[in-house]
Amino acid sequence: MVKDVRLVLIRKRGVLLKLFVNGEPKELESGLSLEGLILHLGIKKEAVVAEVNREIIQPDKRAGLSLQEGDQIELIQFVGGG
Amino acid sequence: MGETLEQLVQKDPWQINGKTFTSRLLVGTGKYPTNELMAQCLEASGTQIVTVALRRIPLDKKGEKNLLDFIDLKKVTLLPNTAGCFNAEEAIRVAHLSRASGISDFIKLEVLFDEQTLLPDPLATLEATKILVKEGFTVMCYTSDDPVMAQKLEQAGAHAVMPAGSPIGSGQGVLNPNNIRIILEKVKCPVLVDAGVGSASDVAVAMELGVVAVLLNTAIAHAKDPLRMAYAMKNATEAGRLSYLAGRIPKKLYAQASTPPKDF
Repeated sequence: MVKDVRLVLIRKRGVLLKLFVNGEPKELESGLSLEGLILHLGIKKEAVVAEVNREIIQPDKRAGLSLQEGDQIELIQFVGGG
Repeated sequence: MGETLEQLVQKDPWQINGKTFTSRLLVGTGKYPTNELMAQCLEASGTQIVTVALRRIPLDKKGEKNLLDFIDLKKVTLLPNTAGCFNAEEAIRVAHLSRASGISDFIKLEVLFDEQTLLPDPLATLEATKILVKEGFTVMCYTSDDPVMAQKLEQAGAHAVMPAGSPIGSGQGVLNPNNIRIILEKVKCPVLVDAGVGSASDVAVAMELGVVAVLLNTAIAHAKDPLRMAYAMKNATEAGRLSYLAGRIPKKLYAQASTPPKDF
């Protein structure tokens, strides 16, 4: 309930972004970096390969990349395969 | 005393794009009941090259262990695959993502034609091979057992061609050994049988044809006892290779006694 109210207040102030992470729509605070998103999601940063709008973002560039409205983010990992 | 088995295996390495391996068994990491069992099977198999895939991270599983937590990258080379790609562009994109991990420049190039047969799309495979070779990947191509396609892939710069023995996961073994033998005659790059092997004897048969190595996944992961099967596959790979190098006796129509004629 508190979280919902907070989101409403942030939305009213216009600082929520709608973007897509692994095909799922997400609403996140404006100014969040790609690295911040990865941390927020609890993902080990060494284990992920990241794309934003089909462009691979190298690990050393993630902290400096601010996410924008409508960004399509792919967070990819190695999984079992033959 | 003659050489030990270990010595014979160690002095028979194979190379791909400048990298040397002594194990001739490549093992996949898919389909295991647990990652712990997978890790045990990889160890038991003695493999030095393991295949992996790339997929989206599930966003609802915070803190879960990653596959790489179960693979000792000091002992094995990662061979990421482009499984699930149905055109060259997709496969190339996956290869780029793989390389961005910083872990491996090897790529098992799979460009499929349809989901039912999982047969490779030869034209798309060829197209992707040319591009990825130019970009500096070590390209190991999953292909059919078509000798023409194998040659074309080699001409395009493929570092290895990997004809399927039979459809992926089918366990039918090497259905057309003659085509594998023709491929071995026609190409100079390493030839591996990839896909379709189901049993230790299948692996030994493939190795006795003269391929440099065998790649398998389902045969171990879906065996009733995967760990036991991993040991079996390790031994079968070595047995088949040693048998190939040892030079088998010719098949004869009639019997030839192993004991001298009775002389009393």
